Order: sequence, then structure tokens, then C-alpha cells
Amino acid sequence: MTTELTMAKALNLALRTAMEADNKVILFGEDIGKLGGVFRVTDGLHKDFGEHRVIDSPLAESGIVGTAIGLAMRGYRPVLEIQFDGFVFPGFDQIISQLAKVHRRTHGSVKLPITIRIPYGGGIGAVEHHSESPEAFFAHIPGLRVLTPSDPQSAYSCLLSAIRSDDPVIFFEPKRRYWDKGVVDQTQAIAAPWQARILRAGSDVSVVAYGPMVKTALQAADASEYSLEIIDLQSLSPIDDKSIAESVARTGRLVIVHEAPGTLGLGAEIAARIGKSCFYNLVAPIERVTGYDIPYPPSKLEEYYLPDHDRILFAVDSVMEA
Amino acid sequence: MTTAPASPNLQNSAVQLLTPEGELASHETYSLTLTDAEYKLLYREMVFVRRLDQEATALQRQGQLGLWASSLGQEAAQVGSAFALEKNDFAFPTYRDHGVAWMRGVDPMKIMQVYRGVSNGGWDPFEHRCNTYTIVIGNQVLNGVGYAMGLTLDQSEDAVITYFGDGATAQGDVHEGFVFATTFDAPVVFFCQNNQWAISQPSEKFVKSPIYKRADGFGFPGVLVDGNDILAVIAVTRAALERARSGAGPTLIEAFTYRMAAHTTSDDPTRYRHENDLQNWKLKDPIERLKVMLARNGIADRSFFDAVGAEADTWGETLRASVRSMPEPPPESIFDHVYTEKHAVLDGQRAAFIDYHEGFADSGVH
Amino acid sequence: MAIEIFHLPDAGEGLTEAEIVRWLVEPGDSVLVNQMVVEIETAKAIVELPIPWAGVVCAIHEDIGSVVPVGAQIISIEVGAQPQREPVLVGYGVKEDALVTRRPRRESTQRVQPVLAGVTAKPIVRKLAKDNAIDLSTVVGTGRNGEVTREDVNAAIGGDASAPRGSQDQLGERIPVRGVQRMMAEAMVASAFTAPHVTEWVDVDMSRTLEVVERMRVANSGRITPFVVVAAALIRAAQKYPRINSSWVDTTEGADVVIHPHVNLGFAADTPAGLLVPVVRNASAANFLALSAGITEQMEKARSGAATPTDLTGGTITLTNIGVFGVDGGTPIIAPGQASILAMGRIMNRPWVVNDAIVIRPIMQLTLSFDHRIIDGALGSRALASVATYLADPALEELVLKN
Repeated sequence: MTTELTMAKALNLALRTAMEADNKVILFGEDIGKLGGVFRVTDGLHKDFGEHRVIDSPLAESGIVGTAIGLAMRGYRPVLEIQFDGFVFPGFDQIISQLAKVHRRTHGSVKLPITIRIPYGGGIGAVEHHSESPEAFFAHIPGLRVLTPSDPQSAYSCLLSAIRSDDPVIFFEPKRRYWDKGVVDQTQAIAAPWQARILRAGSDVSVVAYGPMVKTALQAADASEYSLEIIDLQSLSPIDDKSIAESVARTGRLVIVHEAPGTLGLGAEIAARIGKSCFYNLVAPIERVTGYDIPYPPSKLEEYYLPDHDRILFAVDSVMEA
Repeated sequence: MTTAPASPNLQNSAVQLLTPEGELASHETYSLTLTDAEYKLLYREMVFVRRLDQEATALQRQGQLGLWASSLGQEAAQVGSAFALEKNDFAFPTYRDHGVAWMRGVDPMKIMQVYRGVSNGGWDPFEHRCNTYTIVIGNQVLNGVGYAMGLTLDQSEDAVITYFGDGATAQGDVHEGFVFATTFDAPVVFFCQNNQWAISQPSEKFVKSPIYKRADGFGFPGVLVDGNDILAVIAVTRAALERARSGAGPTLIEAFTYRMAAHTTSDDPTRYRHENDLQNWKLKDPIERLKVMLARNGIADRSFFDAVGAEADTWGETLRASVRSMPEPPPESIFDHVYTEKHAVLDGQRAAFIDYHEGFADSGVH
Repeated sequence: MAIEIFHLPDAGEGLTEAEIVRWLVEPGDSVLVNQMVVEIETAKAIVELPIPWAGVVCAIHEDIGSVVPVGAQIISIEVGAQPQREPVLVGYGVKEDALVTRRPRRESTQRVQPVLAGVTAKPIVRKLAKDNAIDLSTVVGTGRNGEVTREDVNAAIGGDASAPRGSQDQLGERIPVRGVQRMMAEAMVASAFTAPHVTEWVDVDMSRTLEVVERMRVANSGRITPFVVVAAALIRAAQKYPRINSSWVDTTEGADVVIHPHVNLGFAADTPAGLLVPVVRNASAANFLALSAGITEQMEKARSGAATPTDLTGGTITLTNIGVFGVDGGTPIIAPGQASILAMGRIMNRPWVVNDAIVIRPIMQLTLSFDHRIIDGALGSRALASVATYLADPALEELVLKN
């Protein structure tokens, strides 16, 4: 079945689908019940599935993650919501110390099929702590999988894959794209979630982006005089090196885009890997277009921090002129 | 929508010196004597704080602010507790405590800077002995306790008051704050405004035993006060500050009040709470009861109330105009104050940033 | 900001009504001029209707399924309105991306990565050099900021080492064209199909030249050949007709003809590595003996594979000796960036007419190809004739001895 949905509604549909398919799937988070979530992603689910499957939690992220681990050990498949990216940190301890390590610690006996949904990224004119991009912290931790969709279709497919996975998945939802509409084909549920996808073929430059920056990269491609190949990374852990390398082997040029500060971001990791695998294919230095190494600025200044199509095109010029 | 649980009634044990009907009451432990001038001052301050809130809400609707976290209904809790502070005491507010910032002398325009998105802080904490707003729930409780621990080390007679809401009492930081404060007998007053709501969650869902009673478990006193009764709030806060200064350690004050507006301007409370609640609490309005008391006791008359109202009107106009014309900082200021010392990497990024922006054909025309 | 009301138009052929099938927009959506906003069904077909204004949809007046008469109001647009920013719980909300175009940049100064010490070259170029035992530090870089390019390395290799091995398939032997060979092929194509070539030829009685060559060889130890004399004659012609020693350069205003101040004489040399064109720089300043020595030196370098990129580039005019292969003339292709090329054929005894009598003389054909954009027929002819005259003229000895 195919429909046009906003990303928020696509996520809602994925949650509903997962909950209908498996009654061990439970939702847990702040204000997700009656309110339906601050972005309405869980709208209507409390009414249809009841307060024992859509559970409003106390205001405590460590508590949410920590108890979810126990619930998972008891056989449930919790899908957690952290209300905003900047609020995940009280739960960081449980995520790193327990969630990422339990399966290994128990030699495979215990599985923690927990999905942690986190709206992330800027561009919504918000106050402090509501525009963060902390994905690198999690992609850096072995034992966790990290996924991030870029449009309604990938939101639907990737969330379902995340929930169905028996590994813990940190699921970053680009909040500035919640209202973007797109076609969702529900039969595409298990489209390759741990791989990158090429959204637009091109011959001059490979542009790798993920989450909120994918749309920005596509806008840059539209406005560019060059032929840009746009790759939606989707999976931040594991990173799909192969797809990126195949593209760069053809184009010889790579530009990576993300909102998070450049230093030690996903771009640095990809640059290192492709720098090695495509050393003899590259005809220009790898360029990263990222946030600066500063705390996220107040909302009136966020446009100066966030990569936009102009900054991407500036980097494209640089690699084309090298 | 199912019926939301009715908000709990104020317990009889709550300290109250001014009833919702404007009657003065007595309490076995707490009392308060103020001059006429002080009573009138309190009235005026609450009116202005409410006006600030109304103007800010209107400005948000007009797109002049990104959002506003309303303090409507909580004026007595905030103005009263802050009124009790000495000049050198230090306050650690949340993000809704505009009455506290106001009483500490913070220019409301600085608060507007935060909600307009021009600054993440707004003011210098040391200028007003009031920390900048903390948005991450509960962080400021630990910070406040730490400051208080510093006061002890300095053998100072100053005290700290740290604010948080009912929802925050679920966060680990708050509990840890209690533990540290009691361990070190920190001169801190924990001021919890139980406004009954944590966005969409009513407090009684997660608060199975009154918040003020938790203090017992940690080994320090807790007191419940009618948060809409400014006189009781002042009395209770003064006592707690005294206790802190004497070296006896922390106190937990639970100010029972109500969040009359939404969580923030774009929240829709009709999704989770009932209109009836609001009507009940309107009858307990903090400003109204003080007004009635002042009039009934001949402390202030109609002309005073009108004058304050007119003053607030004029002030409101100035505020509106100032917000609309608020200047924006230069773009390269995003690189300022990340560190105290020179930082080569950041300097390089700033230079590249300026270079990049000057490279636009229309730069300098913008 | 005005509100425009859109009425159901006559979709064609006198239709009086239509059914609303589907709205393609909602209140609050921004719309562009001619954007399709609704699908209607008439008696004849389903059509999409475009809106004639840009703005924001403020109201939709007819539901799906309604049958609406032509002229009825169906949608209102707030014209000229900026798309509203819908606030969220924690801020202003998303700023809708307007039509995304690139904000123009000033003419950029070179944005070059700061160059660290040492030779700069791309990794793949370094590998090429290493695989061919070329020391990068000996290669002159012609890339930006002295970067050693693939072409520079290929030139250093000289072509033979990089000559790829052939392979066999059902079509026959397949020899890949790579590196220098490929580069040269591309250059040739560029020249041949950009510059309109005109080729003229003239036969010259070389007896005087050969006498001079003989006398000079006896008098000097250097290798003096007819080739050197022809080179001297060509240089002389270039000094007299500078346009044959120029370049056509396309500019934003059209084109310039750049007349070179010196003659850098390139001459085709057949080497074990294939055809190379070493250059004697500033040949116009050399006296005859120096010219001869220069030619000899460059020929040696080219043949031994020691020629550097400086030796192989920068020519302003070219001389090619096809006579060594036993042919007389042809249609030589001008070297890219140059204005003319002179070919000399074999010197062969032929019947010649002197004072109305048939005599035997050593005759050589000279062929001049020139770029007709730069050099017109008259000039080209005169230039060629002047070379021929120098070679045949009794004043030659004076020319030669003076130099």
C-alpha cells in the first residue's frame, strides 16, 4: 500500500504496524500517551493500544533506559522515546554501560532488542539543548546500532527494521523534517536498513549526507552546475563503506555533510576509511561540510552554523577545482 | 478525551497566612509582619511579573519570540520566595521563574533574549546573584548545592535557593542534590514549585507521597506551603534561609500552585487536562487574594491599583517595542566565549567563516 | 497582502460544471504560479487546474465530490504572503525552504590548501611515478602551485616505459593508447580541428645550401646539416613575418593573436620513445653555431630519454624533417598553440631549369601549414617564399657567416 505521509505520520504508522505485529512491543517515554508526543509521533496509539503498551514515564531519562533494559530482559521489546536530543545525557550511562555491553557480557544469552527514538538536529528555531546532533557519541560505541532516516519512506522502513532488530538501536529522527511529505510504500518495510542508498546518480562528485542534511544535499544537487551523486548514509553504525567507495571510485571526489561539529564527527570516520580504500581513485582532498566546533548557537544565529546548499556547493567547487 | 484526574487539594498541613478569599490567617509556626509599603510593593511586583508574562505570550503569538514558558499563576511562589532573599544570596532558577529573575533585578529584556533566540544565557549571573536559566531538568539543583558547599568552605553567611518543579523530582540530579546537601549541611533551600503538571503528566501520577515529605528520608525538614499565598511563601522561605545560614543545612519547600497556562506557548493543554481544573484554580489566584486583603485592610485603594495597572500598561508598551527592535548579534559571534583562552582551531574556523561570508557577491549589502 | 479567489474556469468546450476529484494542496500550503492545485472531472476528462497566483492557500471552498458550476469560488489564495513559520513547543519552528538557488559568489581567488614542504602530487600520480622509477623531485610540476601532474610524469617517462603492451582479440592486435601517446593524439585532434589549416609548398634548389654546409663542416667541428640551415632560414622568416611565430588565444571578448617575442624552435625528433618535439629556446638570439649546437644537444637529450618537460614544451614554431623518411612533402599538422609548421622533404637530384637549360640540381620541397585565422594567404605565401629564397639565394652565405 502506498500513501503520501509526513515523516511524523510515517513513523507513527511504523510504530502501529510493529505493535500490531508483536504484542511485546511497548512504547515508553515522556508525554507519549495522551499527548501523543511533543511532535505527535505517537498520536492515537495510547487510545488504540492502551496505557499498558503506550506508557508515559516519569521525567527521568536514566530511569527510562535503565528500566527498559529490565523490561527487555523480561521479554518485552521496548521502543523508547527520548523527548529531545539534548536530554539523552542522563540516560547515557545506562546506554553505554549496560545497553551496549550486556549481550557481549552474557556471551549472547541476553538480547536487548530496544529501540531508542531520539529527535535530533537543528533548524527549528529552538532554545538551547533542542538542536543537538550527538549521533557520533553513539556510533562510536561498539554494541549499539545507529540508524537515521531522511524522508518518510526511510523513516517507515528503518524504524520497522530497528524495532525488529534484536540489537539495541539508537534511532535518530531528523526533527526539522518531521513535516516533510513523501510517498511511503509499506511493502518496502525491510528495505536494506544497514546500507546506504544512492538517491541521485552523478558523475562529478560523491556527496554523502544523512538525516536532516540529505534534503539539503539534494537541494545543492539541483542548484549545482556539476553532476552530484547524492548518497544517504542511513546507517551510522555500521557504516556502509562499500557503497561509498564504489561511488568515489567512479567520481574521484567526496564531500561529506553533517550538522554535528566537524571534529570527530561521522565525516571524520568516513574520510579516514575512504581515504584508505580510495586512495588511488581520489583526485581531490576529501571535503567535510559540518557544524563548527562550537556549542549550538541561539536560534537567531543557527543559519550561520548549519550547513546549507551554498556551503555544500562551495565545497563542491573546491573539489572540482583541485 | 478521558477525564483528567482532578488536581489534589491543598492539604491541611500546608502553611497558609492568606486565604484565597483574601483573609489573613495565622499559623502555629510561621508568621509574617510587613509594612504597608512592603505589602504594596509585593502587589506591584506580582502585577508586573504577570504583565511580563502576558506581553511575552502575546509577542510569541506575533512571531517576535520563538516560544515562552509561562509563569502565569505562580507569581506568589516566585516573587515571594525571591523577596525573602538577601542581596548576596544566590538563586538557581529553572526556565519558568521569571518572578525570581525579576526580583533579583534581572532586566526582563535579558530574559527576552533567551526566548527570542538571541542568546542562550542573557545575563551575567554574578551581576544579579541569579544563575542563567537552566533548561535541562534538574541540573541546576546540583549546581546550586555546589555553590552552597562553596559558601560553607568560605564560612560565608550567604545562602542559596534552588528552584525546580514537580516533574523534576523524578530526575536523578535532584535526588543526588538532596544527598549532597544533607551530607555537607549545605546552606541551600530547595524550592519546589509543584504546579501540578510536567507537560502533559499530572503530578499525582508520579508523586505517590507528597514531595515535601521526601526530605524526611534524606534527613532534613520539608514544609508544604500554599504556593499562591505570597505571605506564607515569604515566611516559610525566610525561615528556611535562616536555617541554612545557621549551618543547620537544607530545607525542602513544596509550594503548591498551578500552571495556569500551557507548558510553553505551542503546547495544547486541552489534549490532557480539563477546563474545570483551570476554573477551580482561578478562584485561588495569588494576585487577587492579595488585592482583596490590601483593600479590605485599608492598606491600598482603588487609585493605587489603577495606578499600578497604568504603570504596567506603559511598561508593557516599552517592553513590546524593545523586543521588536532587539538587535541581533553579528554572525561571527557564534565563535565567541567557547573557551577562556585562545584556541587555534577555533580561530582558524572563525577566519574561514568570515572569509566565506565575505565571498558572497552581495556581502556587505545584506 | 491581498486575497485572490479562484473560480472554476471553463475547462473547455462549453462545459458548465465539474466534480472536485482531489485537492492537491491544503490551507497553509505555499503555492507557485501555475502550480496544479486541484483535479476536477468534467463530462469528458479528468483535468488538473493550475493556480494563476503565488502565495499561501487560505481556504478551500469546495469538498471532494462536490459538483461545482463554472464560475463558482473554489479556493482562495493569500497573494504575496510569505510562507508562515509554524512554531513548535520549543521554538519558532521550521523555516520553509523557498526556491533554492545558489547565492552568487564573488570571483574567487584561488582557494588552495596550504602547501606543505616537498613536491606536491596526487596519490595516483605519485604511484605512477613510483611504478615507473621516476624521482618526483626531478620532475618540473606544471600544475597549480607547481603540482606535478600526471602529464608531467608521463612526459618524464617519455612514453616508452609507459607504452602499454598490446593484446590479441578476434579483431587483431589491440594496443592501448595511454599516457603521452594519448595526450598527443588529443592535442593533434585539437589542433587539426580548431585551426583552419592551409598548406602551401615550394620546391627549392638546395645547391647553394649544400655548398655552404660543406664549407662550414670543414671549417667547424660542429655537426652542420641542411636541417640546421633550414632552421636558421625559418627563424629569419619568423623575424621578418612575426605572425608565423604567434598564438591564437581565445578571450572573453573574442580572441587575441599573441606574437611571441622570441622564437622557441621546436623540431620533430624521432626517438626510441617515439616522436618527441624538443625545443631550442630563444633560438632567435642564437648565432648559427649556437643554433646548431642547441639543436644537436636537444636531439641528443630527446634520443637518450633525458629530455625534461622544459625541453619538450614552450615551442612557438616547429620544423619537421620528413625528408629523412624519403618523402617530399605533405600536410603537416600545426603544433597546438602555434601558428605554423614547416616541413622539409628529401633533397634529391632532379631536372631543373637554369638559364633555359635543363640541369641536374638537388631539389627539396618545403611545405608550410599555417593557421588561416592568424595568417592570410598572402602572408603565408610570402613567409614560405622567404624561407625558400634564403636557402637558394646567394646572400645565404652572408647570412650564415654573419651569424
